[in-house]
Order: sequence, then structure tokens, then C-alpha cells
Amino acid sequence: MKLDLVHDLQEVYRKTLDSMSRPGLICNIQDQANKVAKEISNFNSAVLALILMLFDTEVKFKVCSKHEAEIVELINQLTYAKVTEIESADFILILGDADPEEIKQVFNATCPGNLRDPHKAATIIIEADSVSNDRDLTLIGPGIEKESYILVKTSHSWVDLRADKNSEYPLGIDLIFTDGNANILCLPRTTQIVQEVAG
Amino acid sequence: MRIEYNFAFFDEGSKREIRRATLKAVAIPGYQVPFASREMPIARGWGTGGLQLTLSLVGKEDILKVIDQGSDESVNAVNIKKLIIKTTGIKVTDETSEATIIQSRHRIPEIPLQAGQILVLQVPLPEPLRYYEPSELETKKLHAEQEYSGAWLMLFEQIMNYGTMSTGADHPAMVHDRYVMAPSPIPRFDNPKLNHSQALILLGAGREKKVYAVPPYTRVESLAFEDFSFEVESFQDKCCGLCGAKGVFLDEILDDLTGETFHQCNDTSYCLQRLNQKSAG
Repeated sequence: MKLDLVHDLQEVYRKTLDSMSRPGLICNIQDQANKVAKEISNFNSAVLALILMLFDTEVKFKVCSKHEAEIVELINQLTYAKVTEIESADFILILGDADPEEIKQVFNATCPGNLRDPHKAATIIIEADSVSNDRDLTLIGPGIEKESYILVKTSHSWVDLRADKNSEYPLGIDLIFTDGNANILCLPRTTQIVQEVAG
Repeated sequence: MRIEYNFAFFDEGSKREIRRATLKAVAIPGYQVPFASREMPIARGWGTGGLQLTLSLVGKEDILKVIDQGSDESVNAVNIKKLIIKTTGIKVTDETSEATIIQSRHRIPEIPLQAGQILVLQVPLPEPLRYYEPSELETKKLHAEQEYSGAWLMLFEQIMNYGTMSTGADHPAMVHDRYVMAPSPIPRFDNPKLNHSQALILLGAGREKKVYAVPPYTRVESLAFEDFSFEVESFQDKCCGLCGAKGVFLDEILDDLTGETFHQCNDTSYCLQRLNQKSAG
């Protein structure tokens, strides 16, 4: 079935909102992602569903991937969003094949907003190998009753980079993780990651 | 001529813009995120902020409840409901526990909100500092610097003048220990319900073009002093004249003929539910 730009994207939004307001809650958008995949197959369909839900002419974005040029063209054709540099991007996509050096650069250079306009901070969408609620990282903060647990498998490390970037609340970046099974996990800037001490 | 509107009235571009702002609002609890605020078929200042949030959220499976000062059947609630039904065809309900989206003007329902629900509050004046600072540029700076002495001073002056904090509604609250927020003109009685709420709470101000949010399980503390604590309206020994409920927000009603006053639940669907239960059991 074809992707319904009204109802399917509404569902993607509600699930993303649910995950954003309850950090650690993993929502699944496989149904919508499958419909996207039938039309465009050479790209992570969950990421693409998020892009279709969020991007339009008003959005500036940046892609970190080995196939950056192709993906940028595809996104631009689909949404008319404009490609830009890391510093001025509203949304940054870090795909699975991104270069670790470039990822470091993204976390360092991306806009964390400013004190008058903290909402101008970037949102980073990261394609992970898998996300689950296995006990690896412990999360606390708004949206979490006591604490929640996540395991995010990526080819690169991001926990320390994120902590550095988000050290001055309300400035900071918000992360959305997706994986191959179209799971969504969000980490707004308010969420604190407590590293468990082994033993 | 019959116009075929898009699902939920808005074009998809408008929804996307509100959705992006809402996600940022959730990420920065209590901070007012500016948004475009489209023209609506109702006048600005009559719930357009809440309405726009609801329209950006609503899907085919949602069940909607709209209340206006506790009532499901007053003009504002009915008209907003009509517009949403006409453009979406979704189910509406009066029962708080059944609804997935609750849009409300100036009340939080008596029945505790649950995890799957979203409460959308209509906000006329989102800026808690506007009372003493007319400039938007300045209030933005005050929020940036977390400079809230004016808000404290306002409460202090009320205590000095009247011996009590005279904020009838819209008593400012500190969210996540960072932003002072106008909780929309809900009575002080409802302020504690914002704290550690199970449901997501979104606030929309259409005329002032701002959305802000209180995520679930977020600390929301009504402003008060160490030696002068925050108090909700007290109805002490009074109870609802219809259903007998105590410990809920009551309206005082004057009987024109006898000149007597009596009290009644402000949340009409809560009252009705209790009456139905009584007559059934």
C-alpha cells in the first residue's frame, strides 16, 4: 500500500512525540516505514519516514554518510528542504556508514541554540544498528518516572560527546535514534545518562 | 458551496511546522517556543492555540474531549468540537478516562489523567512576566538569564497588600527548576496536578504565537516563599449540591429567587458521572 502522507505521517509524529516526551520509550513505525520502502528502497525507510514527517522548505539539513550527495538530492527532491553546513542545520542525519571523525565534528560544531532561543538548537537523527531497553545506559530526567534503561548499538560512541554538548541546559541538542527494525528512541536535552558503575 | 477540507482542517505544511515546534517544546519543558499560528475559523484569543495543537496531533483513532471551564457543553467547547468533528470525523466523548486527547480551557479535569492521554490547554497569555514587563524582547532576555525576581516581587506585593497571594488563576510555576511558566488560567487548585503528571501536557497560545509543554513526570512547582507557602483554594466543609462531591473544585452559584448561595462541581462530566453511578447503584 502507498504511504498516506496525512494519516501515516500523523502516526509517525504521535509515536515520535510519545518517545520524545518519555525518553527511553521505544516506539515502532515499521508499518509506515514499509510503505516508504516500497517507493524508495535504497535508504533507511524509518529515517525517511521521519524526514517526510518533519522536513519542508523551511528546514535546513546536513547528511553525514558515504553517500551524502545522493541522499541530499533525494531529500531535497522529496521535501524541498535545503542542504547546509553543520553549524546552521536544523536537522542532522548521521547514517550508519558515517565517518567517526565527521560524527565528532558534528557534535562539536552543531548549534545548541542560544539562551534567548534555545529552540533553535539542532535535532540529530542517528541511524543505529539496534536500539532496545536492555540494561546498558540508565536515563533520568523529565518524562521518566524513576529511571529507564536503554541499549543503543552504534558503530561510534556518542554518550560523552552528547554530555559535553548538553552541559549547559537549556542549551543542547536533541537526539532521535532509529534502527533497521524501524524503532524510534528519543533523547531530549533534559535527559541525563547515568553511567552504571560495574560491580 | 461545500469545501472539502484536508483531514484536520490544516494543510500538511502547517501541521509540520506546529509538530516541529511541539517536539522542541517537549525537549525544553516550560520554555515558550514561537510558532507561526495560522488563521483559524475562530477568532484569536478564543482557543486557537489549543485548537492548532489538537489539529496537529489528531488521528483517525483518537477520541476527543473538549472542555471550557470544566463544562463539556459551553459555547467555546462545543464550537471547537464541531470544527474538529467536521474536518476529521473522529469520535468525541464527555468521559475523561475514555479520551485520548483532552483540549481544555482553564481547567484540568478532576479524574486523574493517564499515561496514554494528552492534555492540550488553551492559553490566552503565555508570558508569566508580562504583567510587569511589556516588551517581548525584554522578557525573552529575562527568561534567558533566569531572572525571575519580578515574578517573586509580584507575589510579595500581593501578600503585602492583601495578606495573601491574590492570583485567582494562572499562578506562575517553576518547571524543571529552570523556566517560570504561566500554567494558563487554571485555578490554583489545579496547579499541583501539573507536577509529575502521568499525561503529556501541551499548552498553546494562538494569539501570542507560542507553544510550550510539560512532559510527564516533570517537576512543576508553584512559586511560593519559604515562610509563605502556596495554597490552593479551600472549599473546607462545602460540597457539591448535586452529587455531594468534596475535595473538588466547586462553583459558587447564587439563587436569584431565594438569595441563597450553593455550590456545584465545576467539572460537569465528573458530576454527571457520579450522579449516574448513584442512580444506577
